[in-house]
Amino acid sequence: MSIAPNVTQTAAAVRPKKRLFAGDNRDRIISIASPLMLLLVWQIAAQAGLIDQRFFPAPSKVFSTLLSLVADGSLWSNTWATLQRLFWGTLVGGIPALLLGVAIGLSRPLRAMIDPLISATYPVPKSAIFPLLLLICGRGEASKIAMVAIGVFYPLLINSATGVLEINKIYLDVGRNYGANRWQVFSTIALPGAVPHIMSGLKLGLGLGLMLIAIAEMIGSKSGLGYMIWNAWELLSVEQIYVGLLVVAFLGYVISVIPELERKLVPWKKTAR
Amino acid sequence: MARSSHHLRSVPDESHEAAKIRLRNLTKSFETPAGTMTALDNVSLDIAEGCFFMIVGPSGCGKTTLLRILANLETATSGSVEVSAPAQNRPSNSMVFQGDSLFPWMTVWDNASYGLRLRHVPKGQINEVVGHYLERTGLTRFAQAYPHQLSGGMRQRVSIARAFANDPDILLMDEPFSALDEQNKLLLQEELLRIWEETRKTVLFITHSVDEAVTLGDRVMIMSAQPGRAKEIMDVPFERPRSVLELRSRPAYGEFVYSILGQLREEVQRARSRDLGETKA
Repeated sequence: MSIAPNVTQTAAAVRPKKRLFAGDNRDRIISIASPLMLLLVWQIAAQAGLIDQRFFPAPSKVFSTLLSLVADGSLWSNTWATLQRLFWGTLVGGIPALLLGVAIGLSRPLRAMIDPLISATYPVPKSAIFPLLLLICGRGEASKIAMVAIGVFYPLLINSATGVLEINKIYLDVGRNYGANRWQVFSTIALPGAVPHIMSGLKLGLGLGLMLIAIAEMIGSKSGLGYMIWNAWELLSVEQIYVGLLVVAFLGYVISVIPELERKLVPWKKTAR
Repeated sequence: MARSSHHLRSVPDESHEAAKIRLRNLTKSFETPAGTMTALDNVSLDIAEGCFFMIVGPSGCGKTTLLRILANLETATSGSVEVSAPAQNRPSNSMVFQGDSLFPWMTVWDNASYGLRLRHVPKGQINEVVGHYLERTGLTRFAQAYPHQLSGGMRQRVSIARAFANDPDILLMDEPFSALDEQNKLLLQEELLRIWEETRKTVLFITHSVDEAVTLGDRVMIMSAQPGRAKEIMDVPFERPRSVLELRSRPAYGEFVYSILGQLREEVQRARSRDLGETKA
């Protein structure tokens, strides 16, 4: 591969970029229209018998199931159960992860101590731990909350530590020169300086937590979206499976919007990217 | 490193004024893959209270290392640093760093009040002091702005306001204006002189610009490069308060700068011929 064509390519790529940004509205219309088109094609294909409705029920059927599940209140109660587990799990796993992560970023000895432990336990698939958690915590809420907590813990810990490590050393010098004590270094420099990384760690952790709670609820629970999906399989109600997937996907979407929140929380970051 | 505040050792007292800072045989060496690098070699120095002391030298001569040792950010390999105890409970020193050292996550106000807030100074006093220095640096309107919204010159003003507002005994300035354009540099030098005249704190200011050294300083120390040694200390013969532009138009100013440049030139050439010798070997 020669270099010359590459150069012209990048030069050409720089130009239309501006126009793409100008076409923000057009982009939005396209990105709303494309999933709608897919649903439409799906609906037509299902009605025309082109696809097997036992596996791919028409969107209209899924939607009517959704309405009936909303009406009998079961959708809401299951979603609420999942949300509560997500919330408490995030709190239980997230706060220690945040404190420990920032501390690891600040202290070399602590890093040397914790790093091998993290490296050793991180590769264990989190879902594989669930039986152990069931054994330890029983079939109650604790095992599900612990599952989410473990999912949130690792990404948040690793990201907070990285965030602190990537803080420009000059800021720590300023803190020292101006007489900041350990707590002040933590609260005025390490924590705010690491917020951008912490936010992306939280996003990763919540995504993992959602995945794990869905699995955990399928195996060891009588409520929650995971349970609802599993139960639907046992009842052979394909539509209900799709409703469950839809709601889980929506929660995943909400989690993925966290970076938008970050821009509000991190006003010092330049808005131009 | 001895950092005693009260009992000074029996060292020859060269100046009759009260020495604020006494350095004796200060040496700092770093271990590098290429061997031991001596950044500072046996530097002895007295800096009087209230003196605007300039250190000028080629890059890599250990100026910054010297300042960082005084700022307690690094420890000397050998030798002693004696700094007389600050009055009341004010901090011993505050540093104006080279380059961007403002916290991007704090507003101008929060940055400028940082030292005072760390010490839990009463809010009323913080408002008064920080308000004063922001006004003196022309930043009152930008108190709620974040550093990325300011120009380089304004950011360095905040940095200066932060150091002055902290009300230290000694100000340590590490090439604070080196990244600025010539016009901004002139403006900030004038502002710095004006603010300094209010308090006349002891200042240790590092620069590689001879013009800056002569414009601002009472005394100028010329440092040699690698190992960093104190080559010569000269008194700046110009009265205060100074107007930067007027000062620079005087023939005597030109002559003084020229004599320092001559000394520095020897240094730079010596360093260069040594570097060339090294690369040939």
